[in-house]
Amino acid sequence: MHAGTSTTHDAHDVHDHIHPPPEGFVRKYVFSLDHKVIGFQYFFTGLLIMFIAGSFAELVRLQLTDPKGAIMSHQAYNTMFTMHGTAMVWLVLIPLVTGALGNFVMPLQIGARDVAFPWLNMASFWILPLAALILFSSLLFGGPHAGWTEYPPISLADGTAGALWCAAIFTIGISSTMTGLNFMVTIMKMRAPGMTWTRMPLFVWATFATALMNMIATVALSAAVGALFLEHVFNVPFYDAARGGSAVLYEHMFWFYSHPAVYIFIIPAFGVVSEVIPTFSRKPIFGYKMIAFSSMAIAILAFTVWAHHMFPSGLAPWLQLPFMILTYAIGIPTGIKIFSWMATLWGGRIHFTTSMLYALGFLITFTFGGITGVFLASVPVDLHAHGTYFVVGHFHYVVAGGAVMGFLAAIPYWYPKATGRMLSERLGQLGFWLFFIGLNGTFLPMHWLGLEGMPRRYASYVDFAKAVPDAVFWNQFETAFSFLMMASIGLLAFNVIWSLRHGKVAGINPWGARTLEWTISSPPPYYNFKKVPEVYGRPYDFDKPLPYRNTDNELDAFPEYGKTVMPTPQPVGAGV
Amino acid sequence: MVLTLLSIVNALYFLYGSIDWIMPGASQPVTDRASDIDGLFKFMAVFGGAIMLFVAGYVIYFAIAFRARSSDSPDAVGVQIHDAPKLELWWTVLPTLLLIVLTGLSIVVWYKIQFGTAAPGLTTEVIGHQFYFEYRYPGLKTSVFSKTSPMHLPVGVPVRLLITSTDVIHQFWVPEIRLKAAAVPGLVQNLNFTPLRTGTFDVACSEFCGVDHSLMHGKLVIEPVAAFKKWLDSENKTAAAAGGAINLAAGTPATGQALFAQKCAACHQIAPFEQKLVGPGLLHITDDPAHPALVTGKTPTPEHIAEILQNGFTGPIGTMPNRQANGLSNTDIANLVAYLSSLK
Repeated sequence: MHAGTSTTHDAHDVHDHIHPPPEGFVRKYVFSLDHKVIGFQYFFTGLLIMFIAGSFAELVRLQLTDPKGAIMSHQAYNTMFTMHGTAMVWLVLIPLVTGALGNFVMPLQIGARDVAFPWLNMASFWILPLAALILFSSLLFGGPHAGWTEYPPISLADGTAGALWCAAIFTIGISSTMTGLNFMVTIMKMRAPGMTWTRMPLFVWATFATALMNMIATVALSAAVGALFLEHVFNVPFYDAARGGSAVLYEHMFWFYSHPAVYIFIIPAFGVVSEVIPTFSRKPIFGYKMIAFSSMAIAILAFTVWAHHMFPSGLAPWLQLPFMILTYAIGIPTGIKIFSWMATLWGGRIHFTTSMLYALGFLITFTFGGITGVFLASVPVDLHAHGTYFVVGHFHYVVAGGAVMGFLAAIPYWYPKATGRMLSERLGQLGFWLFFIGLNGTFLPMHWLGLEGMPRRYASYVDFAKAVPDAVFWNQFETAFSFLMMASIGLLAFNVIWSLRHGKVAGINPWGARTLEWTISSPPPYYNFKKVPEVYGRPYDFDKPLPYRNTDNELDAFPEYGKTVMPTPQPVGAGV
Repeated sequence: MVLTLLSIVNALYFLYGSIDWIMPGASQPVTDRASDIDGLFKFMAVFGGAIMLFVAGYVIYFAIAFRARSSDSPDAVGVQIHDAPKLELWWTVLPTLLLIVLTGLSIVVWYKIQFGTAAPGLTTEVIGHQFYFEYRYPGLKTSVFSKTSPMHLPVGVPVRLLITSTDVIHQFWVPEIRLKAAAVPGLVQNLNFTPLRTGTFDVACSEFCGVDHSLMHGKLVIEPVAAFKKWLDSENKTAAAAGGAINLAAGTPATGQALFAQKCAACHQIAPFEQKLVGPGLLHITDDPAHPALVTGKTPTPEHIAEILQNGFTGPIGTMPNRQANGLSNTDIANLVAYLSSLK
């Protein structure tokens, strides 16, 4: 549509390109082509499945309050942790951070009227409920129970449920690949005139890096689970050693996708934090280029480290070294990001909104997860810690303390833009403290339990509890704290629905933020931008007028145009 | 400032000194590899702890020191800086250097783990099954099964464990030894180490392997060489004794029935052949027109049934563990055969 360079526009010509909004409920809200509505659809579907998958996690935690297993059989427990992991990774995190956030925010931030391929976008979304249906229907056949990794040969014992698992993952993979392609093309071809690569908001950079990984990596997963499906259904021995296959082959293909997958969750969260911290510090982001390029560096390095998940699993000894060194290398761009965010805080005027609290919490919990990641990257330490609760703790600090915290920072930040109403700050901040305390209480003790000898995926731990009597206490402790997280998410859901009607009216730019989405009305009209804006500067210079020309009429009526004003400064801890 | 630094250094030193509790058996290393790995772990804990304190400390300090105040005007902004190349160079170079040092230290320990153990004085095979480990020793005529008896290793002798699996992927892990390796079907991996002290330790499977993964657990006894040799001898004697004649006529069906519920019912039910749990249903083991022969292809006489109970079975239908794995004595076998033969 528009190349990245600045050109003059004939306003008449541009108006011709505005399509009328669709009529009728179905075209408007069900099979909508509007990226904003599709974003909502992802959001509500993802949130619903998050409750289901979260309840599975609570059942897992309840089981472990007793070393003998408190509430269910081994088989049921194995199904619960498998479904928890599978649903959270593929049906919650990836749809929420790419589907919901990417869809709603990215086109608005680049001044586009929609994504490049709206029909493809709609198809990508509708694959999600289909995949969810396939996955949850496997419960009727006993459910898969080999963990979210579904390593063969053990996963072959899952029978029909295992085949359905493969089908669900293959299906959702199609959605991820299409979304990745769609977003790549959108960002490359549809930026507003004048928005050069280094004038893009950092969330757009993050979405670009994520889209690249989604497009390339998902294919490997599809191949892996496709072959597993054939082995399930037609008995083709891809992974059967006795008939010339290899079980380790699956692990290679699986992790070639699933390591980048972790960065697919976390890099959009980096993007969110890179928007939230400057806005609420009233400061330009520190080291814009380093943050943008380190996202790309992480996305590329992500493809070179997969076998660090397999150090004890049958890797040639010499092959352990390059994977260890490349994994360490990822620590460098990640460190640069964290230090840049800290430097953005320095000298700021920090406003403690819910979003900002989540972003600050993110800095602490994600850093912790990053550091324990360095432990696991070291082959000798990994030979001890692999397959234990240390890994579970590390992973959840990165995913719940990184990706989910980033997502939770994004909700109150963009909710006013999406709905025209503010979320309740009081409920939001209470939710933050519940989540932050719950997260640390749940996942911190896992680190020492793992090192002391508790393997993961244990339905009971009688022998371990004999060796380490404290284990029972710490497991009960974790279970108690895990309910705080659940309460926090419940509070968020209530807040999201309650504020639709009762929230304060947001106005165009409640946060005094500076990216393009804050120059149009809240919620944005169907076509987003009546006139295509022109960009002539960087997005985060809080002391300068907004770097946009030719913006919509709504903005011209906005009295504070040109200045970015924070509504009311709040004292520390307000509303807690 | 100096005081803060000193207290942080003090805290890290305390962390270094007190980290032993987190690693089982760290105060008295069980192998030379364990102390190497613990050293690396402590190095990382101290530097990782320092970085964590640095980040969390400054995030909290900045958040408080640079908070917006109610006296600020509504359009108050922070210091408008975009970058500081020197500072950025520092925080790129210093972590890189730290990671290079860490890489060096990790490679040294890695080399010791892979190549640092002397030529093995004892090679033991570890075979993963659902849900037990089978150990095979040179010179021992029978296998040792983790369900019923512990693994034994001599102290001070370099050991090589050859690790594989017959069914699904397992993982052999002794937390005190620190090393683990996956038991993968079709692949033999090895672990090399020298036990340094005697004691009894837990062996666990740390790769998910099925329903009773969490029960796949055993003991490892590390003992003086003389005691180890004595144990090998006694195992051989037991095996020889167990090889003696089974008095099938002495079996009683009632005792066999109780034993069946305890030892066999997890895999077999008293039902027609087709109703499989893991193995076939055994109701018509002696009188099934569709299956006139046993899975071994032999006629269903008491002697041939006893043969399967003794040796186990491997075939297209599946795998059944042998008598040691199932913990069956001669009397047990006689009772079970009596019970199975009585079924109609």
